[in-house]
Amino acid sequence: MAFAFGFPLVQVLRDSFYAGDFTTSPIWVGFDNYKGVVSDPEFRTSLFNNLKLMLSVPIMLGLGLAIALVLNDRIRGMRHYRAIIFLPYVLPATAIGIAFSFLLQEKGVLNTALRDAHLGALAQDWLGSSHLAIASVGALVIWQQLGFGVVVFTAALLALPPETAEAARIDGASWWQLQLRVLVPQIRPIIELLTVIQVITVLSWVFNYVYVLTTGGPGYASSVMELYIWRSFSNGSNGTAAAVAVMLFGMASVLIALSLWIRRQAFAA
Amino acid sequence: MATKHVLAVLGAALVASAAVFAASAASKTTKKAADDPNNANLTYWYWAESDAPGANNWLKKEVAQYEKAHPKVKISIVTQSTDTLTSAFTTAAQTKSGPDIATQWATLPTLTPAWKGATVPISDYVPKSEWQNWISTAENTWQGKLWAMPQYLIGIPFVWNKQLFKKAGLDPNKGPKTWAEFLADAKKLKAKGITPFGMGNKDGYGGAWFFSLIGKQNLDSIDELKKAMIGEANFADPKFSGFYQALADLKKKGYLNSDVASISFEQGFQLFGQKKVAMSWGTDGNVSAWEKQLGAKNMGVAAIPQWGHGKLATSYDVTQSSDAFITKWSSHPRAAAQFLTFLHTPQALKAWYAATGVFPADRRFPASQVKDPIAKQLLKLDQSPVSVWPENFVPPQVDQNADLAGGEEITSGSASPSAVVKLWQSELSKWKSQHPDEYGAYKKWVSGH
Repeated sequence: MAFAFGFPLVQVLRDSFYAGDFTTSPIWVGFDNYKGVVSDPEFRTSLFNNLKLMLSVPIMLGLGLAIALVLNDRIRGMRHYRAIIFLPYVLPATAIGIAFSFLLQEKGVLNTALRDAHLGALAQDWLGSSHLAIASVGALVIWQQLGFGVVVFTAALLALPPETAEAARIDGASWWQLQLRVLVPQIRPIIELLTVIQVITVLSWVFNYVYVLTTGGPGYASSVMELYIWRSFSNGSNGTAAAVAVMLFGMASVLIALSLWIRRQAFAA
Repeated sequence: MATKHVLAVLGAALVASAAVFAASAASKTTKKAADDPNNANLTYWYWAESDAPGANNWLKKEVAQYEKAHPKVKISIVTQSTDTLTSAFTTAAQTKSGPDIATQWATLPTLTPAWKGATVPISDYVPKSEWQNWISTAENTWQGKLWAMPQYLIGIPFVWNKQLFKKAGLDPNKGPKTWAEFLADAKKLKAKGITPFGMGNKDGYGGAWFFSLIGKQNLDSIDELKKAMIGEANFADPKFSGFYQALADLKKKGYLNSDVASISFEQGFQLFGQKKVAMSWGTDGNVSAWEKQLGAKNMGVAAIPQWGHGKLATSYDVTQSSDAFITKWSSHPRAAAQFLTFLHTPQALKAWYAATGVFPADRRFPASQVKDPIAKQLLKLDQSPVSVWPENFVPPQVDQNADLAGGEEITSGSASPSAVVKLWQSELSKWKSQHPDEYGAYKKWVSGH
């Protein structure tokens, strides 16, 4: 365990204190890599973009939960709908990114369709605008990850004992009351778990989407921390890449610890 | 207790397999195969298609011929993508594993790995009688040795669509020679609803070309740019960075295609062939492809319009673009060198030109092979007395993080030229602190050592 997990962590931590050529004579620089990263506007933009992408988590979870609740009503064709919604999740992020990079170009399919429908005012440079690029990435993340949430929530709802819902119906609970006061509270641990998973996803698993869709651009407008790490590493700035990796690891650890603490508090209550 | 036993067994298995793996890796490195030029497995990381459409097929055919003539040599071609060309080799150099032969852009992207000991001088393996026929070797010479083999020459001409010029009331046989003429033509074209100039810059290469083609024009020599890279001159001086305002003005006036920021550099090349833009620029290979699409009589070719007032304003832009070099870790440098030399044989040069329409970087290539009128014009331009490609002199990290990113910011309208200048300064400073070794080597190189 120590070899498989501990060694890479220690190595990355060690590298974060060095600069120069790592294959021959790395130079000890203390905390300079960390200082350099924190004062680097590109890093701050990347970090801020990760935080912006976190806004996609409540949308993803809210939509996923809403769809799961509707599907849980055993509507006709439920399995087909579930499969359709889940489909994007099983497609490779790279393939999706390439498809969307054509779809979202200024003269791409989406804008052409909008213009043809006399909605040209809505047509935007989705990837080429520094204001919209990260939102486009967020939309793609939601589109792909939504299916996962729906499947997890549906499975959780199906696993609930039917007696509780039945009792609520007999007591005259409306559809909304049944969903919000009976079913949703029962799957709260799953919602919490999925929240943590999705927060970690948008914090440290969005490289594929960003790289293929925008390469972090225009400029650094849609860069994220993973891309910053990759860019630093590919430039041979291993020390900088390692420093950001350590910071990212720290952030993910804090989030996980926070979620565990919240759960413990909930159980205690 | 049982869990502890299982964990112990798993741990032991992990350690044992790691030891076996390490031992086998060590034995592999110690058993270095003999360097027989006629008996080797070579891996070649290749890139040229973007510069010279048809290059990949040409190499495939040449490899087949070579393997037929040398049955014990097997060459695996791994084509590289433009946006990871430098980074992929940087990673390979860090791990000291990867291809036997690699492609890189000339000068700094080639010399930086050489400074770090990741490559060997090709002049140690190829006789001077051979490589003195190669053109543009000065781009990759360091400490009196040649570090890479040029395959082709890439000139960057300016092109215009004669039909669209005529439609806008312009003289179809007269392309703009100065920036003022270029802007005047663009204005008339735009007034007729024609997109004046086309390029793609989602990946930053359109902006990087603007830097090399327009930005250099206020310099008297490339040494001035080198000094700006090491801080002996200020990049904020309009002499170096004034071109960003010219690019921003083109965007502001609507003289660029509206999707410039969302299409890739290579997609941008297609616009001219598709008659979607009236003017553009491209490689000799692109021009050859456009000629097939539009017809020679419908397009004009000339040097880039003159924007600046430095001595380099009248220089033409021709470079070997990419080159091939042998890696330090290759077990078969002689076999690699022999194959690369084969790519300069008369039949290979002739086949290259036939496949790509791009001139080989070899003095032995007979000009009589060039029959097409536009190609003759391009060859004449490529033989201009002064030629330089400034991007080759920008440290790769700064090129990626400032040159490419800065151009993207301008064409997307998200940053001002002064903000982009600050980005350059910040990236130059980062490069110095993150790569003191590379910076030191660059300084020595600038001072002629």
